[in-house]
Amino acid sequence: MRIKGKSLNNGKVRGKALVFDVPFSFIGDMCPDTGTVTMSGHPLFGESLKDKILVIPTSRGGTIAPFIAYHAQKNNVAPTAILCNNADTITLECALTIDIPIMDGFEEDITRLLVSGDELEVNTNNNCIEVFR
Amino acid sequence: MQEVQLTKYEQEMAAGKHGPGLQKAINLLIKYGDACGAERFVEITSAHVMPKEPPELLAQFTEGIEELPVTTTLHPLMAAFSQEKWQDMGIPKDFAEKESSDHEKRQKIHGKLGFIKSYSCLPMHVGNLPRKGDYISWIGSGAQILANSLLGAKTNKDGTVINLCSALTGRALYHGLYLDENRYAKVVIKLADGVVLEGEDDYGALGYFVGGTVMTGNVVFDCIPKKATFDQIKYLIAPVATSGSVNICHIVGITPEAPTVEAALGGKEPEAVLVVTREDLEKTKDLFKYSSEATVDLVLIGCPHVTVEEARQIAKLLEGKKIEEGKRFWLAMSDATYTLVKAMGDAENIEKAGGVFSHTCMAIIPDSPLPENVKVVMTNSFKAAHYVNSLQQGKVKVMIGSLEQCLDSLKLQKRS
Repeated sequence: MRIKGKSLNNGKVRGKALVFDVPFSFIGDMCPDTGTVTMSGHPLFGESLKDKILVIPTSRGGTIAPFIAYHAQKNNVAPTAILCNNADTITLECALTIDIPIMDGFEEDITRLLVSGDELEVNTNNNCIEVFR
Repeated sequence: MQEVQLTKYEQEMAAGKHGPGLQKAINLLIKYGDACGAERFVEITSAHVMPKEPPELLAQFTEGIEELPVTTTLHPLMAAFSQEKWQDMGIPKDFAEKESSDHEKRQKIHGKLGFIKSYSCLPMHVGNLPRKGDYISWIGSGAQILANSLLGAKTNKDGTVINLCSALTGRALYHGLYLDENRYAKVVIKLADGVVLEGEDDYGALGYFVGGTVMTGNVVFDCIPKKATFDQIKYLIAPVATSGSVNICHIVGITPEAPTVEAALGGKEPEAVLVVTREDLEKTKDLFKYSSEATVDLVLIGCPHVTVEEARQIAKLLEGKKIEEGKRFWLAMSDATYTLVKAMGDAENIEKAGGVFSHTCMAIIPDSPLPENVKVVMTNSFKAAHYVNSLQQGKVKVMIGSLEQCLDSLKLQKRS
């Protein structure tokens, strides 16, 4: 399956999706030392973001989030790409700070089109993601 | 996609002619601007940044830079970490040691480049006073909303990295709140007949209620007395950006873009008029319900930072008294203000009573561990109450009260 979107920072990566049904923030929702999801009570609690493709509806803000994303990348536990329905400015800033591809503007809700564990290739050259199921 | 148009100097920065740090910073801003649809940069006159940069990131982005282009102050230290005061505050040693090492690495770069070590969330009180209409890049939701509202200077609500890049390059993208059409109010705030604002907790409750009710956009308060003090306005405005994400709070007759309601609305009809009642204010206070029965372990004052006038008021209330053994009283204040408060003799009075001054941020304390045995926290700030409550995730109980109630909860005793 191929899904078209809009690239906001370029790159090409392949990896597994981690799909959130609720807005995500690098502050409070993940541990930047271990890369694990810390949203208590959420089904993804305890999952790792390391080398994953982060799929989110949008962000929950937090101006200091780009520093936290950087910290996570230094510890080798950051996601490798971000796909979101609406890239709010803080999520965009996080992706640019750690220079990973980010896309938004998909025709349908990306958090419903994909499920956690999907093998994806994000290629911003053709503004597409390829899903291998 | 719209592309950001660059001046010759901006092209040179992007090409690396002015060093690798500026090259990195301007190119990050350009990508951000392309994605946001900004057409160009403007030169800023003032910056205020967050001293919590990962040290390697700060080193990369400042490589080759010798001097900052504009006045740039530093925000308070996040977490309850102060290199000088952490022991007095009862912060665990392992946490403080880790913070201290990063802090020293940052300080070297900050000092070399001329970042002003203000550690204040009120930059306008420590030598960073932009004028009406200036383009600036400030961090801190309270500082941002005060700059946009009370000063009439224009800042966007960028994150810490875009903000740092703007401080380094002296450039910010022309978009968002820089555009006049995005600065007009859409909602008018009034008080119901007979409602009079009294303590700072009344002002705070009004701001917190309005932020949570209106949520986004800009508002105009048509109900604040002209003689309102800076501190009252501070307690009113800061929580508006806490319970919601309102950008600008015009205040008729007080803030520069609101000589009249009509001017603040840009000549248009308001989308809504919100009439706030005494019941609304009391219900808002009940979110952090005060009880004189509760045993308070820690009182936080200074969110936003304590001013000279407030310190004077606190010193008077503490004259000849001390707080009960085992309780803690923290006051957040810049070192510059502390120097004044000390010169006036008020600092000594407060410290003898058991207060600890620190140039940290009282809202984000939960970023750090609280001292052991702290179960109930009391503050006169809705912003601090909101963050301590949400970030501590129920580990402590948070109560709101007036300054006098906060001090009463410390069970003041006669000082020998």
